[in-house]
Amino acid sequence: MPIFHHFDENSLNSNQTYTTKSFTSKSEPEPTTTMTINDYAINPSIASGAQAQALNERAVELWAGIHDVLGELMVNRSPDEVLRAAEAVHESSNEIAFLECLLNDLHINGVESEAFAETLFLMGQAPTIPSPLKQFSILPLIPMNIGHLYFSFTNPSLFMLFTLGLVLLLVHFVTKNGGGNSVPNAWQSLVELIYDYVPNLVNEQIGGLSGNVKQKFSPRILVTFTFSFFRNPQGMIPYSFIVTSHFLITLGLSFSIFIGITLMGFQRNGLHFLSFSLPAGVQLPLAPFLVLLELIPHCFRALSSCICLFANMMAGHSSVKILSGFTWTMLCMNDLLYFIGYLGPLFIVLAFTGPELGVAISQAHVSTISIYIYLNDATNLHQSEVVIYN
Amino acid sequence: MLEGAKSIGAGAATIALAGAAIGIGNVFSSLIHSVARNPSLAKQLFGYAILGFALTEAIALFALMMAFLILSVFQ
Repeated sequence: MPIFHHFDENSLNSNQTYTTKSFTSKSEPEPTTTMTINDYAINPSIASGAQAQALNERAVELWAGIHDVLGELMVNRSPDEVLRAAEAVHESSNEIAFLECLLNDLHINGVESEAFAETLFLMGQAPTIPSPLKQFSILPLIPMNIGHLYFSFTNPSLFMLFTLGLVLLLVHFVTKNGGGNSVPNAWQSLVELIYDYVPNLVNEQIGGLSGNVKQKFSPRILVTFTFSFFRNPQGMIPYSFIVTSHFLITLGLSFSIFIGITLMGFQRNGLHFLSFSLPAGVQLPLAPFLVLLELIPHCFRALSSCICLFANMMAGHSSVKILSGFTWTMLCMNDLLYFIGYLGPLFIVLAFTGPELGVAISQAHVSTISIYIYLNDATNLHQSEVVIYN
Repeated sequence: MLEGAKSIGAGAATIALAGAAIGIGNVFSSLIHSVARNPSLAKQLFGYAILGFALTEAIALFALMMAFLILSVFQ
């Protein structure tokens, strides 16, 4: 039950700032009148009553509102403390804009708002540690809502466009003027590496089909691989947003590919595709159970590659953030001479950023390979391929 | 009390990394054995070893992600 400021009509009508005592003390609160500069600033002529009343009422409403929100946020504190916290943070000021800003901040951001941190600081307690998951928050940059559907242009959209632009620029500059040099420079080498990797993957993983049919999968594999290969390292740019660290984004990719693979399996093999669930040489009584059990791993394939990519990116970046936070503390620990011991934390940050980049690139490789192993399973069912050594 | 429970939960979730460590050691031990048997395939086997390492590390990171989740999400 929130405790409201005790106010009477006299204080509403006057234009003087007002401080309350705790309500539980059950004594008559005496209004300690302090005329601050705010009174004159808001209302030059104190004699005009109506405007002053309105402003004061609004201020008191806002104080009560702030008190309410703080009461909700500070869950295990006594009402006394909540009241003191509320007073400390709004300082019984009459500035409507400041109070509204405070109230909005507390409403929107709750425990993580700056107002709350300031409240805790004013109460003499350490502020709450910012969560390492805060870097993954999605912010709508251009909000667009159609009814209840959320079509906003968000953080991840911006960074996906940015990476797409980078990739297209890279390919454009390498293939300008009819195709570059015979002895490739570094950028051309990179593009050739990616372009060479994809048919390699197709040939290796998807065996047993003619070359023409296999090359039909090349564009799809190229897009999947480039998606992860450029977007994972893009997250290492400072202050940028890691697109693939969101489950929904990688789920969209791998789930849609899984649906495509299943459809293609049915298209290529007809209903014979269902024989995929029954391995060769199984006795008949065991067959129904095996088929039902085999459906579960088949459906899990939709999730496995996406969870792999998402968990690696998210856990990797969270741990880098936590450990880099430690190194920042280490750097600033020495009050007299900042940055005097800077080599140690620098090497620590290097030691975490390097493997993070390596994980980013290798996870691209791993997720692409796993998706296309499933493609191989769908097209070739359980037929073993004849491997010819050259 | 919630902070204490969160810390205990995060610590317990980190124990799962022990299994992942054993798994990664297993992968690279197999790499060393197989390269010792057939050194001409060293490059290809190293490629497979890196693939296996990445997948095993993924499990370790699942456990670490659960630890961070327990530590940071609950108020």
